[in-house]
Amino acid sequence: MAGRRVECTWKRHVAEQLKQRDRVQRQAFEEIIHQYNRLLEKSDLQAVLSERLQTEKYELQDRHDVSPGAESLQQEMAQIRIRHQEELTELHKKRGELAQSVIELNNQIQQKDKEIQSNEAKMLEYQQQIAQLEGECRDLRSSLADLERANQTLRDEYDALQITFSALEEKLRKTTEDNQELVTRWMAEKAQEANRLNAENEKDCRRRQAKLQKELADAAKEPLPIEPDGVCVCFRRRRSLNSHGTSPESADAPTGVCAEVRVPSTALHVFDAHDGEVNAVRFSPGSRLLATGGMDRRVKLWEVVAGHCEPKGALTGSNAGITSIEFDSAGSYLLAASNDFASRIWTMDDYRLRHTLTGHSGKVLSARFLLDNARIVSGSYDRTLKLWDLRSKVCMKTVFAGSSCNDIVCTEQCVMSGHFDKKVRFWDIRSESIVCELELLGRVTSLDLNHDRTELLTCSRDDLVKIIDLRNNAVRQTFSAQGFKCGSDFTRVTFSPDGSYVAAGSADGVLYVWNVLTGKLDKTLDKGHSSAINSVSWSPSGTYVVSVEKGSRAVLWSDM
Amino acid sequence: MTLPTPIIMADDKDVLRDVWFGRIPTCFMLYPDEVTEREAEPFYLLLPRVSYLTLVTDKVKKHFLKVVKAEDVEEMWFEYEGTPLKWHYPIGVLFDLHASNTALPWSVTVHFKDFPERDLLHCPSSSVIEAHFMSSIKEADALKHKGQVINDMQKKDHKQLWMGLQNDKFDQFWAMNRKLMEYPTEEGGFRYIPFRIYQTLSDRPFIQKLFRPVSPEGHVLTLGDLLKEMVPAAIYEPKKYQVVIHGIEPLLETPIQWLSEHLSHPDNFLHICIVPAPND
Repeated sequence: MAGRRVECTWKRHVAEQLKQRDRVQRQAFEEIIHQYNRLLEKSDLQAVLSERLQTEKYELQDRHDVSPGAESLQQEMAQIRIRHQEELTELHKKRGELAQSVIELNNQIQQKDKEIQSNEAKMLEYQQQIAQLEGECRDLRSSLADLERANQTLRDEYDALQITFSALEEKLRKTTEDNQELVTRWMAEKAQEANRLNAENEKDCRRRQAKLQKELADAAKEPLPIEPDGVCVCFRRRRSLNSHGTSPESADAPTGVCAEVRVPSTALHVFDAHDGEVNAVRFSPGSRLLATGGMDRRVKLWEVVAGHCEPKGALTGSNAGITSIEFDSAGSYLLAASNDFASRIWTMDDYRLRHTLTGHSGKVLSARFLLDNARIVSGSYDRTLKLWDLRSKVCMKTVFAGSSCNDIVCTEQCVMSGHFDKKVRFWDIRSESIVCELELLGRVTSLDLNHDRTELLTCSRDDLVKIIDLRNNAVRQTFSAQGFKCGSDFTRVTFSPDGSYVAAGSADGVLYVWNVLTGKLDKTLDKGHSSAINSVSWSPSGTYVVSVEKGSRAVLWSDM
Repeated sequence: MTLPTPIIMADDKDVLRDVWFGRIPTCFMLYPDEVTEREAEPFYLLLPRVSYLTLVTDKVKKHFLKVVKAEDVEEMWFEYEGTPLKWHYPIGVLFDLHASNTALPWSVTVHFKDFPERDLLHCPSSSVIEAHFMSSIKEADALKHKGQVINDMQKKDHKQLWMGLQNDKFDQFWAMNRKLMEYPTEEGGFRYIPFRIYQTLSDRPFIQKLFRPVSPEGHVLTLGDLLKEMVPAAIYEPKKYQVVIHGIEPLLETPIQWLSEHLSHPDNFLHICIVPAPND
């Protein structure tokens, strides 16, 4: 630093000295010398001019020695002076013009200066604006940075919350799964428990059945008294009209309701039952006897022995084809309705015709014992239902149904009839009036009740077999099959003894068996019949099914 | 070899300009014994310090030839107070040496007759002045750079130097001259400083010796160091002498290298005048 200061000292000294020198030696004399030289020039010029003038004067004087007068000389002088004056005025004018232009240029310069000033002022203004804007920009940037920071913190918080949320979700899922698992285990336990209870119940039931069977067997082994009272715990039927004795062989005591129902799968015996159409078929309550009725006016009796139907006998007396057959609950009487407008009753032990009930004015299509076995109800083509008393053998009541009655079934209080006009009519026995009417979609061809009389099976011409719940009189189930066609107005269908199956014969000779529980077709048995099946009957033991056809054949089915 | 350009500060440039444009107000008067037709008026002129008498006095000649008869005119020569002025010295040197502390303007007497053959050189034409000028430059460069820079220059560059001086063109001259002022940085300065020391009362015309600008130990040597070696009396009797360069007295601590770069004359020599101090 000292070196630089020293350097500056001598350098500055030199510079100052040079400036001083110039001031003294040059500037002081510059102007003077310049003016002096100009004056010198001028004086030289003047000297030259005056010399010239002198020489001219002398020349003129010499010339004028010859020429006259001084006036001409003076004239010439005056002319020269005038010329010089003119030149002088011109020069003055020119000088004036130059001064003018100088003034103008000065003005322009001033204007330009002003412009420059104003531009500079504007520039200053702009600079100020720029500074201001820069300040604003800085402020905005800082606020932006703040916002970004705040945003970032919010995002972080959100991420943290997301993580917590997903963890909780996971926990919930796991807990739900555990819950489900526990619930299913509990249900399984419950089901097991229920199954156990069911099994116990079944065992219990079976035990009771076995006990019952044993008791029955015991009872059967006992020498029967004249008054067969029967130890039917399950039935509510009362025996009456026991004027005829019954022998143990011919008395087909009905077995228990809990029959071992076997779904038939094969045709055991195919045989010609009648000469001509076979209209009706019915097992006896004891399942040993089979009755068929046909257009040949006979009711033939068969015994089912080891998978065969052995002819036992025939019941005659009808004047026209048999339309329906029914045994009474004891199996001692057989009731058959006939096309000759009458219904007949035979006794089973001696095959003798006992009663003939006439009164209808049309074919009797169906005749049934009422539950007390003392009365009979019959339905006829003449659109009436007649109630007959067996003691007095007269028609007690005639009810006008309004339509030809195709089939009848009875409960304790109620008679149900299926009619040509697609209706099923429910009659109260005591009051003789219609309690209820159900309309189906086709002519009702057949009615059947299940063993505890809670369900009514109907078959109608629209090829549908329906189960009606008698508690609420509504169609509970409908069975149909692709090939199943109701063959005639009198095609009969039947429940299985325990009500778990339904058998119906089709117009093409195929026997259809449906499962009531599942509602699905269980079996189609087509190897047997060659023409439309008219009627089906299931043995109360559940072992056999017999179906009869238009073509005089009957088939015995079982699952062996 | 390429030499780095020394950084010339703004102050230094001002110094160069002031040195170049230095002027001396001179009054030329005709020697009374010269035969004249009429009285000759004196002629005033501002002479450039860095130029040469015969180069700038054409107007003087023209002025005085107006009054002097043509047949009496021989080569014009100048004298100051009896001392013939050598035209081959720069004008500034002549003034500082002879008329340093006298009243301005410098009164120079113009002669047309009796040319002093023993004291002055003839100057028949400007090419003589050019030759002298260029030889000074070459001599200076020989001392500074062993003559490499001046020899690397082309003929047109030499011409440019001369034309710059003749026409008083500072920029034209210095465009070329700056090359002669360069030196390799590791050296710290020129090889030797081209200088001449003039003294009023001396048998020698001038002192010129070899002098390095940087000491063997690496110190930057100053004007004082130079004078101590060449003219010790100027140092040790400061009141008695003045050390004048270009009409100023630089401080003795001024580095000699800087002086050579900035206060040299166009002929690249540093002309130093030692004059008696005025006793007022």
